[in-house]
Amino acid sequence: MARCSVCGRPAVYVDRAGGVAFCEKHFLEYFDRKVRRTIRRFRLFRPRERIVVAVSGGKDSLALLHYLVRLSRRVPGWEVKALLVDEGIKGYREYTIKRFERVAGELGVEYRIVRFRDELGYTLDEIVRLGAERGLPYKPCTYCGVFRRYLMNKAAREMGATVVATGHNLDDIVQTYLMNVLGNDWEKVARLGPVSGPASHPRFVRKVKPFYEVLEKETTLYAVLHGLYDGFEECPYAPLGERWEIRRLINRLEEQRPGTKYSLLRSLLNALEILRRAGVAGDGEVRSCAICGEPSAHPVCRACLLRIELGILELSEEQLEKLPREAREMVLHALRLREKRRRRASGGAASPADRGRGDSGGAG
Amino acid sequence: MAVRVRILGRGERLVEYRPGMRVIDVLRELGLLSNEYVVSRNGRVVAEDEEVSDGDELVLYPVVSGG
Ligand SMILES: [Zn+2]
Ligand SMILES: [Zn+2]
Repeated sequence: MARCSVCGRPAVYVDRAGGVAFCEKHFLEYFDRKVRRTIRRFRLFRPRERIVVAVSGGKDSLALLHYLVRLSRRVPGWEVKALLVDEGIKGYREYTIKRFERVAGELGVEYRIVRFRDELGYTLDEIVRLGAERGLPYKPCTYCGVFRRYLMNKAAREMGATVVATGHNLDDIVQTYLMNVLGNDWEKVARLGPVSGPASHPRFVRKVKPFYEVLEKETTLYAVLHGLYDGFEECPYAPLGERWEIRRLINRLEEQRPGTKYSLLRSLLNALEILRRAGVAGDGEVRSCAICGEPSAHPVCRACLLRIELGILELSEEQLEKLPREAREMVLHALRLREKRRRRASGGAASPADRGRGDSGGAG
Repeated sequence: MAVRVRILGRGERLVEYRPGMRVIDVLRELGLLSNEYVVSRNGRVVAEDEEVSDGDELVLYPVVSGG
């Protein structure tokens, strides 16, 4: 039996890359050291912060909430709250919300639940159905990712957040990295740092990833040891696509060559530095959406455009007239697309040029 | 006899017990990777090289899946 490298008690975790093993107590110390090092190294938090933890009710985000609430008790200038975006996926979200509310109650942390239904008028299930009826080429994860990011930023700001922390771990990051390398998409790679931004938009809240250097196995173990992992639900829309295969591939490599994931992360950090020096910016210019005023990379934000395409946001003639030219053209283009799809949905074959615009949300 | 394996969210499996068997052997028997599961043996979290006994119950917590 493996024994703790520090105290000799039975091990709960073997770090094969580092050649050490830990008992429960010393694993938790190791975990804490590791996350605090990430926070320091990448300057994730300042001495005074109002931190909002974005939670889904899954193990990683609950582990992050649990960890940061405890850490904040030692940092007088920090305040931690939690935010859950309920997209309304039946047979899935209700269970993770239950677990989230139990954990938040135990931790005594203030929280807010924001619902697609209330904010957009429709649940994700309804949006997916609407999109299919209207012949939109997007996957469920696209709607979910776009609206989730949109509402997350908006709600966190309303909660007074100075920073939003998300539960992404090392595995998530290196999977996305490899996928974007295979896709030769270096602008997306440039967005994979531990801090998003620095977007200097008054409505943009900085996003940070405190588990950036922590393996998924380690966040899971943290969650199990603290009773945060008592059930397993899978999103019914979770794509068994490319990410799944990449994850398998990386995990197989890691099994044969412990340390592969850390190598990939070091590779990413080097790539980020090279991209920064080459002027490849991940975040680019940030402006305000001409319709809703939220931060956006384009004259009209993706959330507003998607709502127009879905037909759940209508602009009056007058509103349309008032938009700046670039924004108006984007909206008119979306409306033309909508009309074309509507005609196609009611008979007639799709032309090849109209296909292939589908994209995926990625880890949001 | 056998080792009972409960995979969270994915039901139960039985693995035939062999003397000297370790957690990692049980996982291999099921075609699973050890870095994709946290394992508890009779209610206590254990490392992959822990030996199992006949009649043990293992709970496997999937590491994969987001959130
Ligand atoms: Zn120890
Ligand atoms: Zn907008």
